[in-house]
Order: sequence, then structure tokens, then C-alpha cells
Amino acid sequence: MAELAIENVTKRFGETEVLKGVSLTIADGEFVSLVGPSGCGKSTLLRLIAGLETQTSGTIRLAGQDVAGLRAADRDLSMVFQSYALYPHLSVRDNIAVPLRMRRLNGRQRLPVVGRFLPGAGGAERQLMGDVEHAATTLEIDHLLDRKPGQLSGGQRQRVALARALVRDPAAFLLDEPLSNLDAKLRIQTRVEIAELHRRLGATFVYVTHDQVEAMTMSSRIAVMMGGKILQCAAPEEIYENPADIQVAEFIGAPKINILPVDVTSDGHVGLLGRQLPLRLAQPETGARIGFRPQALRLSGADAGLTGVVAHTENLGSEVFAQVSVPGLENRVVMRADPAQRAALHLGATVGVDVDCTAALLFDGKGQRIRNVSVKTTPELAGAL
Amino acid sequence: MTHDWWKHLILTLGALIVIAPFYMMVSYSFKSPGEIDRGEGGFFGRQELMVDERCVQLRDPNRDEITTARTRFPNQTDRQIHTAMVAEATVDCSMRPVVFNYSKAFTEAPLLRYLLNGVIVTASIFFIQVLVAVPAAYALAKLKFWGREAVFSLVLFCLLIPVHAIALPLYIMLAKLGLTNTYAALVVPWTISVFGIFLMRQFFMTVPDDLIDAARMDGMGEFAIVWRVMLPTAIPALLAFAIFSIVAHWNDYFWPRIVVTGNRDLFTPPLGLREFKGDGDGSFFGPMMATATVIVMPLIVAFLLAQKRFIEGITLSGMK
Repeated sequence: MAELAIENVTKRFGETEVLKGVSLTIADGEFVSLVGPSGCGKSTLLRLIAGLETQTSGTIRLAGQDVAGLRAADRDLSMVFQSYALYPHLSVRDNIAVPLRMRRLNGRQRLPVVGRFLPGAGGAERQLMGDVEHAATTLEIDHLLDRKPGQLSGGQRQRVALARALVRDPAAFLLDEPLSNLDAKLRIQTRVEIAELHRRLGATFVYVTHDQVEAMTMSSRIAVMMGGKILQCAAPEEIYENPADIQVAEFIGAPKINILPVDVTSDGHVGLLGRQLPLRLAQPETGARIGFRPQALRLSGADAGLTGVVAHTENLGSEVFAQVSVPGLENRVVMRADPAQRAALHLGATVGVDVDCTAALLFDGKGQRIRNVSVKTTPELAGAL
Repeated sequence: MTHDWWKHLILTLGALIVIAPFYMMVSYSFKSPGEIDRGEGGFFGRQELMVDERCVQLRDPNRDEITTARTRFPNQTDRQIHTAMVAEATVDCSMRPVVFNYSKAFTEAPLLRYLLNGVIVTASIFFIQVLVAVPAAYALAKLKFWGREAVFSLVLFCLLIPVHAIALPLYIMLAKLGLTNTYAALVVPWTISVFGIFLMRQFFMTVPDDLIDAARMDGMGEFAIVWRVMLPTAIPALLAFAIFSIVAHWNDYFWPRIVVTGNRDLFTPPLGLREFKGDGDGSFFGPMMATATVIVMPLIVAFLLAQKRFIEGITLSGMK
């Protein structure tokens, strides 16, 4: 158990700078997800923490100690890989036992055949097997201990990889997209199990994923990475409701947030498609954009703020998402609706869309969030939309 | 299938051409010298009793033996006794050609000793080759270091050098070190197999990096990774290499002939065949072929046992 502090870490591979100064502090027992599109540097960051790569500059501290120059083996961290990386020639039991054997037995005791007859080896081996059984029971794979990885399903392999990681009680767990090779159903189930495992162990988890749902559902904090930088690191609700950057807003949330261009007058009034919104900025902005989550849009009459034609609907059973193409907007607007409204949302229907301006997110020309927004809820302006 | 008949015809012809010498070898090892000379008797020969002339000559009784044999042949002249004893010897020295050939193979030369030498030499060569090739291949496939590509190019370059081109310098070096006529001379020049390094490197390239990283996380050092992770996963490639290496060095005639000049105790099985060269005193094709059959037998047995793995290995390496 330990705090993990990353300070201003950069990493170059030849000419390409993969990490451009990343700082992140992970408290003891926290579950932090590193999330971002592929190539954003999240896996590289995890490998730096693990000690499998060396940073170009910056420091990584584990429990206050600088781990520069410390081999992966000596960092007391466990890692679960996307491909599980089980030793194909060893049984499940031996796979889980490897990290214990490498740490608790000395070189001579690890020798094949002869090793187990050396003094101390028998006792250590028995104790170690007890720990292996315990880890296997925790993950409910105790009935698979004598099989080879090749005889296991993807989900079972995944559990073996987890058992191998947790058997030696490390300072922190590093998980590199551990669910991405599982089918959708199993992924949801394992997601819950990993989150429960984290609660039970109370250990530090660093979890890399490109799937924002995994990050949202499991983490105590999410670090959204893009282009080698952490754009925002906060609790899932905060990331979702209060994104600091337009890229964060676009990445988190499914379906994606609607981003629409707005005009800001010199006195800070915000206008969308020529209509004034009940929003006012402290100062004028050029190239500002407004973001509405699909649930901030409501189906309404034809005289609503946005009017368009239903181009596509997605019925998820409990809710319906309608893509509406609005004249004057480049992208379709995605709106959440109740299944009861399905009849009004048939393809080609002209619908009006109301927006909830209290839930609007405003971004400046560089994509930074504009925090200083005042919402007027005067009746006449509310009626205008 | 029917329009593929010509492919099968070509393959069958090829197989026959390859098998023909083996057929001759095994067939000759069954036949009497007369049948071999006249080319008759089918595959097994007629297996008529034949007399080993040399055996009879060796037992030709001298005066003392005739004197001591007088009690067994009472009331006979020495000449009669001599004739009787030669007749006895002829009966004792009569045997089926197959028995003659195979017993000669083992008695004429210390064939078991040669086989043992063959085992010692091929096993040592293979063992040291693995000891060198596996870590080298791991480094070339999975470790990043300055000049790796250059080193690998050198390995590839070494594949192009024929053994015969460097035989003489090698021999001189060994001679200067006083190592000719030792096991070391038979083993040392082969301990670094560039083919082995290349084959294992190509296999290691296919091992996912995650597996190695997982081993590092689990606390293994690089050498532990080589022996505990890479080697066990590379068993198919290693078996393929084992067969190439063992076949090549078990059957090697050229190199042992060069470095083992006098000491028959160091002869490897192929050198043993020279015992039946039969310079002046006629040919010994039967025992020679029997010896050859005995020599190839371990390889054939090993091949049959490892056949499946061997074919896997060839498809895996896709070469040679």
C-alpha cells in the first residue's frame, strides 16, 4: 500500500514525444483510471510506473521514494496485461506461484527438481501454495488450478492473471486494459468484480482503459489523457458534469455530447443559430462553442429553438436516442427521448428540440471551458427557446 | 483429386529416389557376399548357410592342437584328424548371412564404443549450442541495445560461410592448441551455431512482449526469463533445431576425419564405416551396410518418435 506521485514526467521515443510533462498524485487505496484514445500515452505512463520503461525526465515516487533506476521486479507493483501474459507452459497453480517463488525462494531453492530438497524450501513451498490457493479462492478459480492456460476461456485467463497479480500483496496494482479482450457481457460482469476486489483489498489501483464506461463505473478518479497530457483528473461525476476541456467533454459520455458553434456579442450574450440564449459570458469570445449532453435536449413543438429532421433513431429499450439534422449545423444533434415519444420520432419527421441552458457547457476558441457564465432564467428568454 | 495424379506421381518418384539408397543399405546388410556381388536374392537374400572363410582360417589347427585332439579321434591319422577338425570349424563358422553381417559389424570394430562417442559428441554439441544460442537469440529478438541490427547482420553473414572453407584454419588452431585427437576437437568448433541463433531469434520474435514484461513484473531477471520463460515456450523450435543439429553432427564424416587422426577410441560412428573399407582383401559390403544400418537406426527411431514435432518445427521455421 503506498501513495504514488508522478511529477512532470516526459517520455520520448526517438523524435516522438509521447508524454509531455505529466503530473499525477494517486493516494493510497485510490482507484485511478487513465483514460484516453489510443496513442494518448496512457499505456506508456503505466509502463513508466511499472518500471518497464524509463522516463526521459521527471520523477516517479512510490511511498515517497524515488524509484528511478529501480527494476520493475524491485518496485513491488503488480501488473495485469491486456493479453493476460500467462506462462503457457505452466499450470494455473504454477502461474500464480511464480511471483511468490521469485521473491520468497533463493536461486538454489528455485532449481528444478533439486531445489525442493534444499533446507527451507519445503516449508516455504507449502506456505506459498497456501497463498496460491487463497488467491485462487478469492477469484473463484480454485477448480482450475491444474489446467494449463491454453485450456481456459478468456474470462478464466483474466482471473488467473488477476490472481497472479494479487497473490503477493503488492503496493499497487497496475491494470493495462484488462477487459478489452473479453466479450461484452463478461466485461460488464468483470468490471463489477474488479471494483469489488478493489474495495475488498483497499489497495491502490491504476487502471488504463480506452473505454470511458469502464473508467466511469469503476474509478474513484479519472485522469483523461490526450496527446501525451492529462487534460483533467477528477472524480467521474466531476469529469462528466464539469469537464475542463472540450476534448474531455467529447470523450466522456455516450452518446457523445453535442457541440454547437455559438456567437458571442460584444457584451457577452450568447446566440445559437441566430437566436439568443439566456446565457451571458463575462467577456466576448470568438470561436466559442456550446455543449449539450443528449439528455439536456427535449422534444418539443415545431416553434422550438432548434428544428430539424429525424435522420436516425437508436432505441435502447429504456430510452431512445434520436439524431436530428438541423439546417445550419454541420453535425447532427443527438437527443435523448423517452420510449413513449417514439411515435413522434419516426424517420423524416420534423421535430423541435428544446435545450436546457442550465446544463449547457461553454468552451472558448481554444477548447478551454468558460466557467464564468451567468444563466438568466427570465420568463421571456426561456420562452424564446 | 483426380487431376492431381501427376503431383502424386512426381512425389512418389522423388520418394523412391530418396529411399533407394536406404533400400540398398538395408538389403545388403541382409545378404551374403556372393548375393551382393551377383545382385540376386531379392530384398532379404536367400539366407542360405554361408561359411565365414576367415573364421575357418583362424581356426586352422596347428600341430599342438592336433596332438591334444588325438583323444577325441582315436585310431586316426593326423591328416584325418586335421580334416575332421577343419570340418568342425566349418560347421561352427557357418551362419546365416544376416547373422554374419551384423555380428561382424559389432565384432570387427568397437561399434558400441563408436556409438557412445557419437552420443557424447552430438549431445555435448547440442547442449552447448543451446546454451549459447538461446540467450543470444533472446537478446537479438527482445532486448534493445546499440548495434543490435549490426550484430544480427553478422549472424546472417556467418550463415553464408561454408564449413569447408574454414576447416583448415580451424584445424591449424586446434593443432597449435594441442587439441587434435580429443573430444574437444570434435565438439568445440560447432558450439556456436549461427543457424541455431537465427532460428531461435525468429521464434522469439513471435513471443509477445507482454509475456516478458509480466515475467519482469513477477521478479525475474533477464537470465531467469531466458531459461524459465523463453526456453519452455520455444520447445517446438528447439526440437526442430535439435533434429537439424543432431542429424548433422551424428552423420558428420568430414570433421571427425580431419581432427581424429590416430586414436580409434575417438572414432564417431561414420568413421567406423572405414573399418570395412577392405583395401586389398576383398570387400565387406555386408558388414559395412550392417554397420551403416546400425548407425542410422537411432536417428530413424528418434525421428519416428518426434515426427509430429519435427514437421511442426519445419513448418515453423519454413526453411532448410
